[in-house]
Amino acid sequence: MTIYSLYIYDRHCTCVYYQDWHRTKLPKPAAEGGILPAVSHQVYPQPQQDTISTSDPISTYSSPRNTLSSSSGVVVAVNEEQRTTTPQPPQAQSGLSFDEEAKLVYGVVLSLRNMIKKLSGKDEQFVNYKTSTYKLHLYETLSGYKFVMLSDPNADSLRFVLRQIYSGPFLEYVVRNPLVKMDSKERGIDNEYFRTSTDRMIRGLSVFQ
Amino acid sequence: MATTSKQYKVIGEELWKGRAEKTNAELFALTYGALVVQLIQDYEDYEEVNKQLEKMGYNIGTRLIEDFLARSNIGRCVDFRETGEVVAKVGFKSFLNITPSVTHGGLPIAASPTRSSTASPAPTIPGATFTLTLDENPLAEFVELPEEALEGGLWFSNILCGVLRGALEMVRILTALCLSKFTYHSSDSNAGHGYVYLRCVARGRNDRDQSHPCQVSRGRSSRRR
Repeated sequence: MTIYSLYIYDRHCTCVYYQDWHRTKLPKPAAEGGILPAVSHQVYPQPQQDTISTSDPISTYSSPRNTLSSSSGVVVAVNEEQRTTTPQPPQAQSGLSFDEEAKLVYGVVLSLRNMIKKLSGKDEQFVNYKTSTYKLHLYETLSGYKFVMLSDPNADSLRFVLRQIYSGPFLEYVVRNPLVKMDSKERGIDNEYFRTSTDRMIRGLSVFQ
Repeated sequence: MATTSKQYKVIGEELWKGRAEKTNAELFALTYGALVVQLIQDYEDYEEVNKQLEKMGYNIGTRLIEDFLARSNIGRCVDFRETGEVVAKVGFKSFLNITPSVTHGGLPIAASPTRSSTASPAPTIPGATFTLTLDENPLAEFVELPEEALEGGLWFSNILCGVLRGALEMVRILTALCLSKFTYHSSDSNAGHGYVYLRCVARGRNDRDQSHPCQVSRGRSSRRR
């Protein structure tokens, strides 16, 4: 069992944060202007490839932090911006660029949620759904933030984890961080502390292996 | 879903007790006083100071609500009445350790709420307003406003207004600020005692973001000593 990825959406339906762990197919970087800055530098549109990376197109897409998620390595320090000198094993890439992917995830969540509300007519909540290959978990705050997590289909409900992220790292490093502009429609909420502590929390879970 | 106001009181008290970091009330009051004085010096205009305080409060409120939601685990309010109860019993209690008394009231139909300060005239929408009366105001612990500031129209605790507006707006209860002379007069009878009145008026819905019901409300506050 494992956890694949985490998306956070704000009230304006835009993706403000993205992180992934055991994803087999990495997302293609978003198209220029497709996503806000500071969502995840891993999928942020790359500047024009410089001479080094043109020879090895894969290295353009593998962020320094991706080395952490390689299953073989030992994590020494997470805060370090590790520059990988050794070429990474070629990783499969999904055919979808990240901005498209983020929109799709949001679309699924929103339509399902609305459908469920229409069917029941009450303030019923959509918690998760499962396919043969993954399970999608949703936690929505009253203020309109949506935390979406994709995990192994056999995982239990991870709603509590999403809530923990909200009341833990999110509160501490985003809400209480005056340097993070919330609700700005201009920037995401990515920052080193938030990413590290979320990462630590997820890695500490028993479902994460 | 009938969470009574007593239950809210319990929730508020538990939240206050469970809060790890607390600030010294005196330090808090003095810092806030210094802030207001600084604003007055910078702007030299009480109207502008009121505006700035409200704006600061708004920015605080938009973030404070996340803290509130994450800790309190309270669901969406059914109506504006309940909102008033939650704001007073849980919100104020958990952040400031005070519980303002709530008075629910109606809103006169098709009248500007600014003027309708006297006992409500003819037809009203029930439960569309609430007034919070702060018997003790932690912001104004040692404050004695000079006559000049009073006459200039300084609303010392205007920041509360902004906080409330910001916080409610984030849960899609749109708020606008309504300032009237009303509370000045009414607090005259309590001269020498610090009272703050916050008046919230539900006015409409905000369907801008998504399909959630919400109301526009107006808050007002003033204080006098």
